[in-house]
Formats: sequence, structure tokens, C-alpha cells
Amino acid sequence: MFKHLVSELKETLICLKAGQVTLGYPFVPHSPEGEFRGLVRLDMEKCIGCGACANACPPRLITLEDTDGYRRLDFNLTRCTYCARCRDVCPQQAITLTGQFETATPDLSDLHIVIQLKLIHCRRCGKVVGTRRAALRVKNELAQKLEIDPDEIEWLNLCLDCKRLTALERPGLSKEVSV
Amino acid sequence: MTNRILNWCFKKSIWVYHVNTGSCNGCDIEILDVLSPYYDVERFGIRLVHTPRHADALLVAGPVTRQVRERVLRLYDAVPDPKLVIGVGSCTSGGGIWHDSYATCGGLGNVLPVNIYIPGCPPRPEAILYGVAQALGIVPKQVEAQAYIEE
Repeated sequence: MFKHLVSELKETLICLKAGQVTLGYPFVPHSPEGEFRGLVRLDMEKCIGCGACANACPPRLITLEDTDGYRRLDFNLTRCTYCARCRDVCPQQAITLTGQFETATPDLSDLHIVIQLKLIHCRRCGKVVGTRRAALRVKNELAQKLEIDPDEIEWLNLCLDCKRLTALERPGLSKEVSV
Repeated sequence: MTNRILNWCFKKSIWVYHVNTGSCNGCDIEILDVLSPYYDVERFGIRLVHTPRHADALLVAGPVTRQVRERVLRLYDAVPDPKLVIGVGSCTSGGGIWHDSYATCGGLGNVLPVNIYIPGCPPRPEAILYGVAQALGIVPKQVEAQAYIEE
């Protein structure tokens, strides 16, 4: 009996010491700690529409569509698992995962990010080569590596097949082959 | 008018019935977290009940598998009007990584009329709290669709 009383008194002391543990969250703002991965944010100016994120996404929520001279990337974030693989593969570092977790919505169309980027077409056959921004990036990087003027590179607006054909038709090459 | 009636009905406290429709238990654990003293939703009058007949809201987690679809519909019928349906987790809102599987219905929206979706994999306990508060009309919505067209 006495033992029981003592243990209860001890418990009371512990409870008094602990104080209040409940978070004041809805009334006090709360920011997640550490490397919390929240809602995806896409930097529209940086994105080149290469589609690396669409390739890496496990729930396949990023769809790519080439229509009317535009490439349309649709991020359907309703089924996002916040794995951040899109962020890891993005060559432009255009995708960041913000700390925002208050994403509740009655309408699922609120969780869409749509970006439309201009396409360039092959100058020989008219097939889609890629987006203008991607071509620009390749152009600049090549020019930097080869130390030439970026305007000298004229192969960028050719599709893969036409590049081969054009290479075959070059007079210098045919000479080499005939010898 | 119906909105006003709904607001009046849910002014005090809502009792929720927790439904698992094939979720991986991640969301369920977060829901249990919300009920713990640390987050303590009972201060808002929200509490878990053991039967849908006592509930005001269904708290649904999971992508709604084909097997559980009929049971969810029966649960929905068992909840007295007016009722709220709250979808917790990415599976419930968009089907998650099982969105194109033959074994799931690809999200709760294809089965029941949902009042509010709380995406997250799993959503933080705070996010669930925020979602429920938003369903009750206490706090505003924070997300909106974004669109961009290159000039």
C-alpha cells in the first residue's frame, strides 16, 4: 500500500517536471527541421525541357508532350512521393524541394505545374530535335570546350538521321572513303 | 445554403473514422501521431470513433484497392449525413505509385466524392492537422496551379 503511494507520488513529480509537451502548431507557425522534402518547386527560367526528371520519376507523374511547336511538361504532383530523384537528375538544378507541407486542397488541379517550351525542328526533314533552350545550352558548352565561336556550330538543328546523311554528303569525307 | 448548414454542423467537434484502403501503413502511423499528446487533436474536439455510424468524417488512407472498394462504399453509406471525406496521402489523392495498377482504383476520387485531399508520402502530422482544419474552413488553402509558356 505504502509502496504504491510512493510510486504514484513519484509519477506526479515526473509529470510536473515535464510540463507542457503539446505543440501549438495551428496557432504557432511550424517549420520542418533538417532536410525535409516538401512540395516540388520548378524554376521556370532554368528548365530546358530535357525530360530527365520524367525518366527518373518513380510514380511517373511528369508527362512530356510535343505539340504545336511546344514541348509541354506536366507535373501532376497529386501522386508525388517526394523522393527528390527529379532534383538529383536535373542538369540545370531547376527543381528544388521546398519545405512546404501544407498542401491540402479540395481540388486536385491545384497540384499541377505546367511548363511549355519552344521546340526546334530539323532543318532537313522537319522532325523534332529538342527544345530551343536545350540546344542553346549544348551550343554554349560545345563552344566553350572547343574554344570556337558558338555561331560556327551548324549541326545543332539537325536530327540524328539527318546528321549522318549530311556527314556522308560532305565532300571532304567522301574523298577519304574513296581513297 | 448547404454550405452554411455544413458549417453549422461542423462548428463544434468532428468525430472521425479511420479507414485503411490498402495503404502501406505510413499514413496510418502519421494519423496515430496526430492523435498522440504531442499534436493532440482532441483539443479541437476531433477524436477517433470505433464505428462509422458515430462518425462525422471518414479519414481515408490508401489507393483504394479493388478488394476494398465495395467495403469503402458501404462505410460511406453507413456514415450519417452530413459527412466529410478526407483523403490522406499521395495514394488517396492521385493513386501514388500504383496509379496505373490493375489492382487499385487509382485514388479515392474515382470512388467517393472527396471534400479534401492531403497529399504527402506520408503527410506530416502537421499537414494532416492543417488539412482537417481547412476542411472545417478554419485556415485558407496554400497551393495553386502554376503554368508557364516560353515567349
